[in-house]
Amino acid sequence: MGETAALLGDILVLTLGYWWVIIPTIFLGLIVGAIPGFSAANTIIILLPLTLAMELYTGIVFMVALYVSARMGAGIPAILVNIPGTAGAAATPLDGYPMAKAGKGQQALAMSFVASSLGGLLTTVIALAMMPILARVGFYMHSVEMIVVMLFGISLIASIAAQDMLKGLIAGFLGLMIGSIGTDVVFATPRGTFGILELYDGVPLIPALVGLFAVSEAFMIIEKKVIVNEDAEPKNPNWHDTFEGVRMALSRWWHIIWTSIIGLVIGVIPGAGASIASFVAYQQSRTYSKTPEKYGTGHPEGLIAPESANNGVTSGTLVPLLVLGIPGGATAAIMLIVMQFHGVSFGPSLFERQPEIFYGMFMVMAVSYLLMVLTILPLSRYMSHVTTVPTIYLAPMIISFTLVGAFVPREYMFDMYLALGFGVLGYIARRTGYHVAAILIGVILGPLLERYFLLALKKADGDIMTLFSSTLGNVLWVALVLTLVLPGLMNRRRKRQRAQKT
Amino acid sequence: MNRDGFKAKRQLGGELVIPVLAVAFTLYYFTTIWNSPWTAQVSAFLVGGILLFVCAIFLVKTALSLRSGEGSLGFGNLFNSNDIRTGRVWLVAATVAYCVLIQWLGFTLTTFLFLSASMFILARARRPLFVVAISAAMAFGGWAVFIWAFDTRFPRGWFEDTMRMVLANG
Repeated sequence: MGETAALLGDILVLTLGYWWVIIPTIFLGLIVGAIPGFSAANTIIILLPLTLAMELYTGIVFMVALYVSARMGAGIPAILVNIPGTAGAAATPLDGYPMAKAGKGQQALAMSFVASSLGGLLTTVIALAMMPILARVGFYMHSVEMIVVMLFGISLIASIAAQDMLKGLIAGFLGLMIGSIGTDVVFATPRGTFGILELYDGVPLIPALVGLFAVSEAFMIIEKKVIVNEDAEPKNPNWHDTFEGVRMALSRWWHIIWTSIIGLVIGVIPGAGASIASFVAYQQSRTYSKTPEKYGTGHPEGLIAPESANNGVTSGTLVPLLVLGIPGGATAAIMLIVMQFHGVSFGPSLFERQPEIFYGMFMVMAVSYLLMVLTILPLSRYMSHVTTVPTIYLAPMIISFTLVGAFVPREYMFDMYLALGFGVLGYIARRTGYHVAAILIGVILGPLLERYFLLALKKADGDIMTLFSSTLGNVLWVALVLTLVLPGLMNRRRKRQRAQKT
Repeated sequence: MNRDGFKAKRQLGGELVIPVLAVAFTLYYFTTIWNSPWTAQVSAFLVGGILLFVCAIFLVKTALSLRSGEGSLGFGNLFNSNDIRTGRVWLVAATVAYCVLIQWLGFTLTTFLFLSASMFILARARRPLFVVAISAAMAFGGWAVFIWAFDTRFPRGWFEDTMRMVLANG
């Protein structure tokens, strides 16, 4: 115990000595996270020659700091202009954007930064302390359990669009069908591709994200002179709003803790990802809230939940990478490649052979979160100015810079047309009361659900009852049913109580 | 939407666009997997089946709303005169042109033309010099950050090639 504490102390001192790498990387990460199409993974790939040339620990510091800051950066445009930088921040605008429109953009940003940093910091410490236990979560999650986790995601579709559940379901299942486009995994039969070769690999996520959120939002906002509502109280950015945002987040410390733990656990499951975690956290937060009707109108807890959760995922994805050598996401996969290039071999023996790497990655994460909140909080007062930029200038900039972002990952011109197509679909959806986030969740979950569904059926020779064959799976089924039924029951109870009072 | 005691009817025509698209796409999808192995069919039939079922319920609800006079088959919530007044129609046209032209003109030049044209339209031809200046600054800034500094894989054209040669020759 004493040896471990001494080692951790040494690693902390070593990591703090890398502040000159961490601080510039934080700013780079915030920028690439905020622009759709420029994820941390893409940036590490672009800067791969630089990363590979670095000494091992410098490379780790750079990659981890970029990873966590990009995650936080994705929430900035989600709050200010309703455009999540990555799919993991798709739940952030649900309450963040209404806050910005109400003139509380600065508070929302400060709250998001504190929730992200505290959530990330806390889950980093938990991951460090409970690594061996958390690593086993991945072992227990087989195809059947993963299907139930996916169905959790799908059940959220209906609750996100709670004002009209039918529209929510239509949007979500349309997204699932769009997500099923592409060749099937066994016989490579093209399905729903309209004969377009670029769709054989499936619908790429970045053009869907860019179109549904950025392009459609740009077409929408030109109706107003500026993003912030005309009836919102006009005021200059000030320190008071920043501190008020910090206070609002800190006063909800318990909320940050449990929603970030949801993110950590989901992050440990390879492939589940930040998008599912943030929606699960949002929905659970609403389910157990005393004021669920306020969600979607600019409710602080509706912003804290997804931001804490998607930063919890960040530490979660490192657990299977370090303990099992299985990357939990795209960025972790690239980290694995870079570290293997430097001769690091992953697995349980890493803890004995190179404990400084094992603990170092989490220590870098913790230090990055600490430095990030200190450096970025003062900037929230300037960032919130975006909501007062006239939309006649803002909308064309959003369209041009995000559309070209859709081109970057695959370098297909087709992806820009696809983003435009999704933009038109998103515009129609927004104008007619369908939730674009529900379509996006469907597109994300479509291929995952199919993969696990096929795996489960093949293992059971096509017997559908295999979905109810595992104890953990059955526990998750019960939890899923409760998640669907509880909000309705609690609503009825609240109405009854209100009726009794009056 | 109350105006002089008159309650506007729900524009159900606009609300039907997404379900109609969903049904059409699902049926098309089914035709592409009809003769495929079961592994290619099972998930799609399950998801598509549920989607068709939910759309059918929505259509029935819509028909009932039409019958009771609560809604009309109008498209006012989707297209109206506001789209022309705000310049949205022209912004969509400019966006299509941006996607088409960028493969020939490259990122910087196309972005400059797109930003100038769309801001000019949306600002109703006010402050043309400011519009040109801000468009040039954004396009050039985008080139400097993404292409020159980070060597990002943006579409390249005449401007990018010229700048590359200029910078390479000192």
